[in-house]
Amino acid sequence: MKKIANISNLLFIALLTALFWPSTGRQIPWHILLVAVVIKAVVQIRQATSKNNEARQGAVDVSAIIFAALLAWYLATTRFVLLDTMLFPQPEAVLALFVTELPTMLKGLVNSLILLVSGYLLALAIALPLGLLVGWRARLFHAINPFTKVLGPIPPIVYIPYAIALLPTFRAASIFVIFIGAFWPIFINTVHGVFNIPKGLLDSARVLNLKERTLLARVILPGAMPSICTGATLALVLAFILLAAAELIGANSGIGWYVKNFADYADYQRVIVGIIFISIVVMTITWGTERLERHLLRWRN
Amino acid sequence: MYEVTLSNVDYSYSDHRVLQGITFTAEAGDFVCLLGPSGCGKSTLLRLLAGLSFPSSGDITLDGKRITGPGLDRGVVFQDYSLFPWMTAGQNIVLTLEQAFPGKNKEEYRQAAADYLEMVGLAGAYGKLPGLLSGGMRQRAAIARAFAINAPVLLMDEPFGALDAITRARLQDLLLQLWQQREGERKTVFFVTHDVEEAILLANRIIVLGLNPGTVKGIFEVDLPRPRVRQELYKTEAFAALRDRLVTVLHENILSELDGGQTVRSDGEGI
Repeated sequence: MKKIANISNLLFIALLTALFWPSTGRQIPWHILLVAVVIKAVVQIRQATSKNNEARQGAVDVSAIIFAALLAWYLATTRFVLLDTMLFPQPEAVLALFVTELPTMLKGLVNSLILLVSGYLLALAIALPLGLLVGWRARLFHAINPFTKVLGPIPPIVYIPYAIALLPTFRAASIFVIFIGAFWPIFINTVHGVFNIPKGLLDSARVLNLKERTLLARVILPGAMPSICTGATLALVLAFILLAAAELIGANSGIGWYVKNFADYADYQRVIVGIIFISIVVMTITWGTERLERHLLRWRN
Repeated sequence: MYEVTLSNVDYSYSDHRVLQGITFTAEAGDFVCLLGPSGCGKSTLLRLLAGLSFPSSGDITLDGKRITGPGLDRGVVFQDYSLFPWMTAGQNIVLTLEQAFPGKNKEEYRQAAADYLEMVGLAGAYGKLPGLLSGGMRQRAAIARAFAINAPVLLMDEPFGALDAITRARLQDLLLQLWQQREGERKTVFFVTHDVEEAILLANRIIVLGLNPGTVKGIFEVDLPRPRVRQELYKTEAFAALRDRLVTVLHENILSELDGGQTVRSDGEGI
């Protein structure tokens, strides 16, 4: 028999009570209600399907936090107007606006993703093979390491003004900056990944007399993969930050631009809508990359 | 099947003399155990044979030819890390086969790898990642891989050192069985161990190495009849006599050879 009186259920009921509480001249906030019910349904499905106790408890706890936040937000802005409604818009209004703004934001997202993916994949395509080679060949490492140490730590944001001046289009400048930002974490972690391959495995490879290309592809690359994944994740986060930073400066569309544009007009409802949208996008991408990482590293127990 | 000779082999590592004046010959088809306490350089000696390191002076020849690096004429089994953990047991063997016998099609490699796994009693493990296999199964797969290239020389660096006693006994039997299979074309085996009984059970010839620096302290012929059956072997006087001689040689001067401050327990652990 499962416990019914868990904290998630209690907060869910508290939220529903607040939403349905009779008051004059106010409609039922359908959007909040829908979000709450969807979250509750997802948690219930996970409860029923997941065999992992910790994961189940985690889903319950996460939903409890979301319900608490929605409840607090609703009470503080709608039920009892405790906060400035311009800076702290009502959740119902924000969620309703989210639905109407979705097509515009999706169009912006496409533009943003083109920049992000181009810069990121370019970095991956160059930093990964280069990192493998530099990590493997001692002479190359000693030649290049000083430059890595000097150039690696420079915050990529400082390149933005110069890149915009230097390159013909805003698009090229953004891709360049995202490229630089993503390049170093991938490169540095790939080199270290090669260094961290157990010596015994390299001996094992050497006694097979593998050709250098086979060795790099079948031994060095997978051996360095744990560290490469760390670097690639780091690079993706950095690429996102740089994308937003670049769009704040020079774009006329995109998800970063969206937030910045409406902040200029003090339209904080749309600012919050934009932030929620960005967080959903990031969450989706992270979910995908985590699954990819788990697949690539499935050999590590 | 190759004759292996070492003449006056020295090996130093940053001013530390690891091996000194190692000289002996292993005849084609010999099973040689390198026996000695930890730190005597027996693994280093195996690395020299594998071509992973080179002697500071002296010569090692395989079938009359000097070793210039690693080669597929020697199959190697390490204590750990023999298999690449990101490839399944089968893929590990396929990679080896591709190196040893290039130019065949995928299905031939796959079939051969499956056959070798079956030979070591791992018929169902083709698609399993090493991380999901037990230590004993991993070493079985490593042995299958070493035999797959059909090299005349087999080098084994404490391959059963990390296994429990029962698994170790099973794998010793398996190794002997595989080695004995085709008389006349037996591989020349070098097997590193610090276990006296393991050495007697397996070897034709035991080379005892001493500490600081590693030198040959004695070469012992083991002319016990084959096939050797553990339970019967352990009861024979010849076995007991040889074991006592080996233990004596291993332990003589051991206290003076050790650096100060180490504890030696009664059974020799901690040496």
